[in-house]
Amino acid sequence: MATKKTINIPLGSQHISLLEPIRFNFSTQNEKIVDVDWDVGFVHRGIEKACTTNFEFKQVGYVVARVCGLCAITHSLSYTIGVEKLLDHEVNKKIKYLRLLMLELDRIHSHMLCLAHVSENAGFEGMFMKIMADRELVMDIQEAISGNRVQFDYVSIGGVNRDLDLETEKLLKKNISLLEEKIDDLIDKFTNNWSLSLKYKNIGHLSKEDAYNMNALGPMARACGAKIDVRLETSDFPYDEVGYELVLEQGGDIHSRNMVRLREIKNSIKMVRNIVDGVPEGEIMEKVKGKPKGETFMRIEAPRGEIFYYLNATGKNMLQRVRIKTPTFSQIPAMVNVFKGANYADAHAILASFDPCMSCTAK
Amino acid sequence: MSLKKYRKKSPWILHYNCGSCNGCDIEILAALAPKYDLERFGILNNGNPKQSDIFLVTGPLTYRSRERLVELYTQMPEPKVVVAVGSCTCTGGVFNDMYNVENGIDKYIPVDVYIPGCAASPELIIDGVVKGLEILEQKTKEIEKPKKLLGELDESKASIDRTKFAGNIDDRKN
Repeated sequence: MATKKTINIPLGSQHISLLEPIRFNFSTQNEKIVDVDWDVGFVHRGIEKACTTNFEFKQVGYVVARVCGLCAITHSLSYTIGVEKLLDHEVNKKIKYLRLLMLELDRIHSHMLCLAHVSENAGFEGMFMKIMADRELVMDIQEAISGNRVQFDYVSIGGVNRDLDLETEKLLKKNISLLEEKIDDLIDKFTNNWSLSLKYKNIGHLSKEDAYNMNALGPMARACGAKIDVRLETSDFPYDEVGYELVLEQGGDIHSRNMVRLREIKNSIKMVRNIVDGVPEGEIMEKVKGKPKGETFMRIEAPRGEIFYYLNATGKNMLQRVRIKTPTFSQIPAMVNVFKGANYADAHAILASFDPCMSCTAK
Repeated sequence: MSLKKYRKKSPWILHYNCGSCNGCDIEILAALAPKYDLERFGILNNGNPKQSDIFLVTGPLTYRSRERLVELYTQMPEPKVVVAVGSCTCTGGVFNDMYNVENGIDKYIPVDVYIPGCAASPELIIDGVVKGLEILEQKTKEIEKPKKLLGELDESKASIDRTKFAGNIDDRKN
């Protein structure tokens, strides 16, 4: 065997383990992946152009929520706070608390869907069904508060659209306490199950220096021990009053990414309890006058990393420019680095552990 | 027993995303999960187009997805049902008149069931798929009808039109 032969294996745009159309092309040598290139642009729709030509600035908040269904509330919230900065308007404390409540509930259900998907791609079908059954507790709370399971149009310029009442508070506290026992059970299963550890531990490794050099974000960076989190740096929301903690792991493999997500769910449950107990008195909606002028930027921590918005307006009904930069687009160099040197049989589990979102990337 | 008796008892699903925002895809997964159990109708999610009967499509049609959609449709075997999930699949929805989007999928393939909503809830998805099962049963009965070997009876002349016979003599001369 003087020279090794490389073979190309395609993973097409329609596959049973992919929710979204991506096309990969793996170059392999004897079960080892040497190189990978991918094609992302099947889902491009042209939303940035339509925000400046088809819609006025009061409608764009509902259009931008349709970029992605999983992190819908973060997109509309970043746009709304950006426009309120341009109009020199600060909302009262009750509105901030209610917006923060929906942000944390959205993070819980997105992380649980990712854990179910990783279990399914590693070949554990029963665990997928169990986590999806537990996830319905959170979806019932979201339906009771906002009226829809996903794509809840809860935020508008100057406030929120619905109020908390006593019955939904009772339902929320009952479901949250039920969910907490099940999360403790899941942590025990993910650490001690022997057959899951064969697929997760020491596979898909990323070192701490590479995470800093190649711009990893979100749970992928926190699993390597890098302190990267937008909630530490910005002060748009009262995170200090509701008991936020930074979650870090040192492994850098798939098992560490699962543990970061499980421990963040526990932290979010604690925050939701403190928010409901401490909601102050006040109005839900406030009147905002005028038209936006100038330019701003806005950053918010989504379930996958940092979302960046840039707005430019000239005092008319239509905006001049809306620029969206999403977390998966920034992480592509780090993802390509993890695939090199791995076995081909582990490619599906590694891909699902990144929690990629192609609708955000292509827009 | 023959296959046609048991086809409606276990129909298999093929799911393709052509530009959606993942909202409807999550709800399809939730409909297969234990709370809203689609598997009690014998339905399984399978990725192979050559073994499936029902085609679930989500999202408005982007320009690069068009050839893949038509190719998947032609690879499915004949008694098949197409279900359009979500309001952007039916008419375009909020993505109407954007520069990279066709408004709806019914310009390219025939659609049997339309499901409204943004995002379509699991109860609506179950209703749509069960309605699709009735249409699947009608299509299997139409296939079983015998084809006409003889031409139609012309009542004015009280004779059979011999030009429409199968294997006509005039065809063999040409």
